[in-house]
Amino acid sequence: MDENIINQIREKAKELLSSGTVECVIGYEAGTDGMTSRPAFIYEASDVERLVFDNTCTHNLATYLINKKTNKVAVVVKPCDARGINVLLSERQIEREKVYVIGIVCQGVVPVSWSGSGKDLQMRCKLCNQHAPVIYDFLIGEPAVEPVPTVSPWTSVAEMESKSSAEKTDYWNKQFSKCIRCYACRQVCMGCYCKECFVELLDPEWVGIKIDTSENSMWNMIRAFHLSGRCIGCGECARVCPVDIPLGLLNMKLAKEVAEHFEYRAGLSAEVRAPLATFNKEENLGIGE
Amino acid sequence: MTKTISKKELASWLDGLMKDRNLIAPALADQQTVFKPVASVDEIAFDFKNTALSPKEWFFPTTEPLFTIYQKDGVTELQPIDIEKESVVFGIRPCDAAGMKLLDKVFLAPPADAMYAERREKTTLIGLACSEAAPQCFCTSMGSSPGNAGDVDIMLAEVGEGYTVEAVTEKGNALISNLKLSDSNESAPEVKCPAELQVKDVSKAMQTRFEDDYWSRVADRCVHCNICAYVCPNCHCFDIRDYPTSEKTERIRCWDSCQSPGFTRAAGGHTPRPTKASRLRQRFYHKLLYFPERFGDYQCTGCGRCVALCPVNIDIREIITDIQKPGVKSGTKA
Repeated sequence: MDENIINQIREKAKELLSSGTVECVIGYEAGTDGMTSRPAFIYEASDVERLVFDNTCTHNLATYLINKKTNKVAVVVKPCDARGINVLLSERQIEREKVYVIGIVCQGVVPVSWSGSGKDLQMRCKLCNQHAPVIYDFLIGEPAVEPVPTVSPWTSVAEMESKSSAEKTDYWNKQFSKCIRCYACRQVCMGCYCKECFVELLDPEWVGIKIDTSENSMWNMIRAFHLSGRCIGCGECARVCPVDIPLGLLNMKLAKEVAEHFEYRAGLSAEVRAPLATFNKEENLGIGE
Repeated sequence: MTKTISKKELASWLDGLMKDRNLIAPALADQQTVFKPVASVDEIAFDFKNTALSPKEWFFPTTEPLFTIYQKDGVTELQPIDIEKESVVFGIRPCDAAGMKLLDKVFLAPPADAMYAERREKTTLIGLACSEAAPQCFCTSMGSSPGNAGDVDIMLAEVGEGYTVEAVTEKGNALISNLKLSDSNESAPEVKCPAELQVKDVSKAMQTRFEDDYWSRVADRCVHCNICAYVCPNCHCFDIRDYPTSEKTERIRCWDSCQSPGFTRAAGGHTPRPTKASRLRQRFYHKLLYFPERFGDYQCTGCGRCVALCPVNIDIREIITDIQKPGVKSGTKA
């Protein structure tokens, strides 16, 4: 734990709550396992001592902003989560003036499970080339020169792409057969904010409610498509999956497609909308021309 | 005096059971230990604290057809589902066996759920005592224990190079009748859960805390997925839907959870539990007040899966403790 970061978070939270600038500070506190952190909602200045920050703070707190639209709130974000805020802003889901962003220059987080955490950084953190948040009102930590990545961020995708169609079908059918449709992937995703998800619509009924490979596949693939060019790679979906489906790999494949076709990476700016969420009249779709 | 069986004899006994029964046992599936049908004793995992998912799906499947409706030449025919042959669930932990007892209270109360009742009738439970508790375990607080034999047909506990064997029910007795067991003075060492909770006054406390701000504070953190309900050995809610094609209509049921926004939505669109806080509160009121009021037991057996798998550490042990202290806020370690 970095005491300096924690003290700065607590002081800023205290100031924002005492002055009435925000109704609530969304940050991290110690979990009940005594080893890892969990999201915390602080409403009173006297509670700021609960706030912590360490390398188990893997949760993307930007997700919670969707539930806190009425009054101004402050949120502690890592650089990846900050990209999530930009996505929500660009898609007009939150208002900039209602969010106070406490950005943290991040050294990476470790794989976290209840009552245990890894020593090595998460793979996405090892490949990270953005250690300072792209959006903040208050920055904690000193941005340093970004390392030049030695490994392509698409390594795992390229590996999957090199497999045959039959192998890929086999692999993903096996993965999706494990899915229990708990929707935890959707619930922790800052990009999944639809009030009514297609998977729960009855009319039209896009996907049934069966927990079986066929309908599970539909669910997981349509969700991935909806996130193409919008996923900021926080890795939460894969972390929370109780049956360990590597959902990040699916999202990364689509991020790669969008990066290659549109030179676009989600969340770098609040001004630019995701290519697949935009349509301009003059766009050439390559259909019927 | 206890009866014991060697590991080798246990393997050949299970091998024999597999000949005319389904054997469902903890086995490795893609790096997770889960209950699944096994074709050989070699597939069975013995070295596990508890399985990633509970064994309830073998009695209450994630998705199951209830019946199929055919229409031919103007005649409508309803075809019930055949339940497969007899099964043995091997390696069930006492917390999960206690969970089966709670499911029985719901599904076997008249009128009994035909599908569940038939599966239960045709299945023998072979329990395996825990030789080590996981950090999330709290079964002893919820009325069971790592060696409790009360809810299975046959109980095994590892001792030295074999297992103690105890036939608990008639069904269990029948299954081990041809088994050669040795007499022994050995008994399995006692295993302790890491946490011991005070649960005596929970229901009483719940009666006064319904409108408490506490629930919305916990719900702030909750992401309202269905993990807790789906990994729980006792949660038993389901949804029903028809799957029509031109030839037939299949009516299926499948797991559902009170955490999902559509769960209580009635025809016309009204939802009696419209907020996330009201849905989160429902989960704990059902487990800690409504179920005990109706059936006499807390609807939690302390397996700890929801504790370990919750993405944001909504911890039922913390809630049980908090709720008995007046005025406690979520997250304060008062």
